[in-house]
Amino acid sequence: MPTFYYLILSFVLFLIGTTGVLLRRNALVVLMGIELQLNAGNLAMLTYSRALGDEKGHVFAFLIIALAAAEAAVGLAILVGLFRNRQTINLDEANLMKR
Amino acid sequence: MIFDSSQILAYLPMLILIGMGCLILLAETFATTATASRQGLAWLGVGGCIASLGALLAQWGDAGQATTHFQGMLIVDRMALYLDGAFLAAALLTLLFAPPFLREQGFEFGEFYVMVLFGAAGMMMVAHAAHLVTLLIGIETMSLAAYILTGCWRRNLRSSEGAMKYFLMGAFATGFLVYGMALVYGTTGGELSYAGIAGKVPEASKNPVFYFGEYFILIALAFKVAAVPFHMWAPDAYEGAPTPVTGFMAAGVKAAAFGGILRILDTAFGNPLLVFDFTGWANIIVVLAAATMILGNLAALRQDNIKRMLAYSSIGHAGYILVGVAAMGLGVTTAKPAVLFYLMSYTFTTLGSFGVIAWIGNRRDERLFIDDWAGVAQARPGVAMAMALFLLSLGGVPPTGGFFAKFFLFRAAMESPQLYWLVVIGVLTSVVSIYYYLRVVIAMYFRDPLRPLEPTDAASTRAALILTAMAVLLLGILPGSFIEWAGPVIGK
Repeated sequence: MPTFYYLILSFVLFLIGTTGVLLRRNALVVLMGIELQLNAGNLAMLTYSRALGDEKGHVFAFLIIALAAAEAAVGLAILVGLFRNRQTINLDEANLMKR
Repeated sequence: MIFDSSQILAYLPMLILIGMGCLILLAETFATTATASRQGLAWLGVGGCIASLGALLAQWGDAGQATTHFQGMLIVDRMALYLDGAFLAAALLTLLFAPPFLREQGFEFGEFYVMVLFGAAGMMMVAHAAHLVTLLIGIETMSLAAYILTGCWRRNLRSSEGAMKYFLMGAFATGFLVYGMALVYGTTGGELSYAGIAGKVPEASKNPVFYFGEYFILIALAFKVAAVPFHMWAPDAYEGAPTPVTGFMAAGVKAAAFGGILRILDTAFGNPLLVFDFTGWANIIVVLAAATMILGNLAALRQDNIKRMLAYSSIGHAGYILVGVAAMGLGVTTAKPAVLFYLMSYTFTTLGSFGVIAWIGNRRDERLFIDDWAGVAQARPGVAMAMALFLLSLGGVPPTGGFFAKFFLFRAAMESPQLYWLVVIGVLTSVVSIYYYLRVVIAMYFRDPLRPLEPTDAASTRAALILTAMAVLLLGILPGSFIEWAGPVIGK
């Protein structure tokens, strides 16, 4: 198993996620970008764990999955709350406090 | 896996908070909508904080020597316990300031108190973390609670908007944190504990990927303390959040993140190989500190909304604390205690000032603009005096806690000649900051009221204000024991 390929893949995933967060204006797509970042972290963690023959990385990956789920739950609740108030989740329209 | 009772006892303060949070969740199903019943839930939370504080004081004596537990995942030492004290003070005061505000604005839920307690437990975990797993879980527990608290004022548009920005930026930072941890884990050959990482640094530092991991972790922590250029969420989140929550976030979350930064930089990345030179973090922290102090304080000058002004001022304060972090990296032994004392004094001052802002408004009129503060001193001299005290403490004027906090911090930084210019920036921006703090004081004392004052008066607010004002004065007049607890602040 060439470790290097998996690491490159994880880095590309991380970059796609980061670009998505920075460039997309729909809050749901931004949330998807964040999930992509977290899963890129997971992939890197698992790759290293496999390559080093160390179990800790596997356990960490489980924790990250649980954490991503908790974060998505809270995040979606916040977005639903915003949508109820404004009928939009476009980030450019969330400018009430800009001065 | 070995659990013995001494390990559990060491984490009793954290466990009490979590247990009390669960208890309030259960009790809420039996609570009625009557005011007394709702207030009872808040008192349960206050009781939890006091019990936790008791458990903390009980182990203070044994904590002189640091001990690690759960296979090196959590550490108990004086620094962690000192910060725990600050978090508990923040949670306790939030639980005193919040109920009247929530009742007035009509969203008095038991979950609010639960989130404050869970958030404080997460902060404690960050302060005690000696392992990347516990750092991640602590930061997430604390942040998720803070996102929920920011957004819990559901019919308020600013609250939802602030929560959305806070959440997206916070989750973005978590992405960096997780990826950074994965890279550090891999390049150190499977190490996750700080001690293990520190042991592998000489080899790992030859690998450029390790630096990516290290700096991704630091970027995530810089987001949490709102250091420039990772601060863009802070003004909106602080302005949008319900006022007592803003105080809790600005003091507690910031103090916890700084606790995490201090420990990870001191132990895991404390090797001189990682501190100095072009790739070292000391230079980067210095640049962040300068940018944060300048931008935070200059942006605060233009604000008319007092919550937003204090949000920018809180960014500025993160800059002062970063000066201390940089000094620690450059080998100043007194820097860490100075930072701890700063965080303690900042906690009381911030909570007090946001407590007064929560007090002054009511359901129809939040009175968040500086003009709304005109003439407060005529109507309510006591509260005006307390607010003036908090603002002067934020500006670093004696005889308040903020003065000694800045004094010790800058004094520690002066021990390293490379930081002279940073101290100069710090002192100059402090002078600038006094200008915008005094705008509020002048409005309160020297201007005539535009309209009558109808504050949200409550016994618990009054008690909390007296407590914070006394703490700020005590830290400013007799800081002796608070400094002793933090560690040796005065060098040789």
